[in-house]
Amino acid sequence: MKLLVLILLTIALCLEASLTTIPFIFLVLLCQTVLLRKEWLFIYAFIFGIFLDIVLFRTVGISSGFYLIFLFLVILYQSKFEIATGYFVFIASLIGSLIFLFLSGHTHLIIVQVIVSAIIGLVLFKTFQKTNLKIW
Amino acid sequence: MPKKNNFLAYFLVLFTLSLLIFGSSKLGFLNPLDSFFKNVLSPLQLLTYQVSTKITDFGSNSQIQTLKLQNLELTNKLIDQTKLVEDNKALRDQFQTENPRSQSLLPADVVGAPGFIPGISVSEEVILSKGANDGVKLGDAVVYENNLLGKITSVAPSLSSMALVANGSFSLTSQTFSTGAQGVVKGQGGGAMILDNVLLSDSLKRGDLVLTKGDITIENTGFPPGLVIGRIISISKNPSDLFQRAALQSLINVSKLNKMFIVTNYR
Repeated sequence: MKLLVLILLTIALCLEASLTTIPFIFLVLLCQTVLLRKEWLFIYAFIFGIFLDIVLFRTVGISSGFYLIFLFLVILYQSKFEIATGYFVFIASLIGSLIFLFLSGHTHLIIVQVIVSAIIGLVLFKTFQKTNLKIW
Repeated sequence: MPKKNNFLAYFLVLFTLSLLIFGSSKLGFLNPLDSFFKNVLSPLQLLTYQVSTKITDFGSNSQIQTLKLQNLELTNKLIDQTKLVEDNKALRDQFQTENPRSQSLLPADVVGAPGFIPGISVSEEVILSKGANDGVKLGDAVVYENNLLGKITSVAPSLSSMALVANGSFSLTSQTFSTGAQGVVKGQGGGAMILDNVLLSDSLKRGDLVLTKGDITIENTGFPPGLVIGRIISISKNPSDLFQRAALQSLINVSKLNKMFIVTNYR
């Protein structure tokens, strides 16, 4: 499973570094955290956040800090209610993408970007949920 | 007995590390490491960008692309010709009118241009394959032929980042080609630009080209005069306003470019 997440995050890093402002790394991390609830995801969040800041000429540490705070909040919510649901992932993607896009300075058409990100987050979540990839 | 997760410890350690890295990055202590990783990751970035442009070009009509290129070439020729005529009139034809001169141009590959929808949305920032080691400085203009694309905003040893003219934080002084009306071009984000602060007494014409007025600093960075910023597509003139404004459209589709030129040494 660690390998699969690593591959997905590498693809997401390539996409975010060269092509799109949609926060794919954040969405993959969010979906995996909701489904797996493992500590090693925090390490991935830290490493990929650092790499993303480096390639996009941002102040290094800002993305990893955001990923860690957001994922930790998601983990805290698991004691309150069920987090592995489409509704939760959609709302979390929406709020997280909005904050992340503001932090990144991509404010043009931000509402559309946030909605598209939330839909992608939901699709990713449903795909990961349905595909049992424990063999990895 | 199931293993107990220890999220708080992981979070605290990694978040503290993030804060330390953030502080070090702000103070510039991480520059050598930062440039090392930029060098390692840039081939991957370049490959992704090139594959993406190939995919987005696949479905496009090649005849339309050729016509667009010819149109751009003719526009450039028209500007050069008019300049030549003016120079001849002033008995200054001994000066080279090619703008900017090829000696001052540094070709750079586009390594990344993140936009909302790849190949369709106009990105506001572009990462280029040349950096401080190649003589790139903050504030250098980036051009394609004689069209202004943007300016360098961050420089690493082997890479640099530029803000496009359409970037929301971008503004520069300019003038129209045929009427000479002066104003300030401001980026609006998403590829949109406006020509603002034009006096009501000045004349603006739809379809007219807007050129840079020239803004070279003492450090030899900035925008050379006479570069094309865009074409006027609509004019907003209200007698009760202090100024008139116009919406501009760039002649260049930045999302299709693989190579740009940095004006490193304009004199």
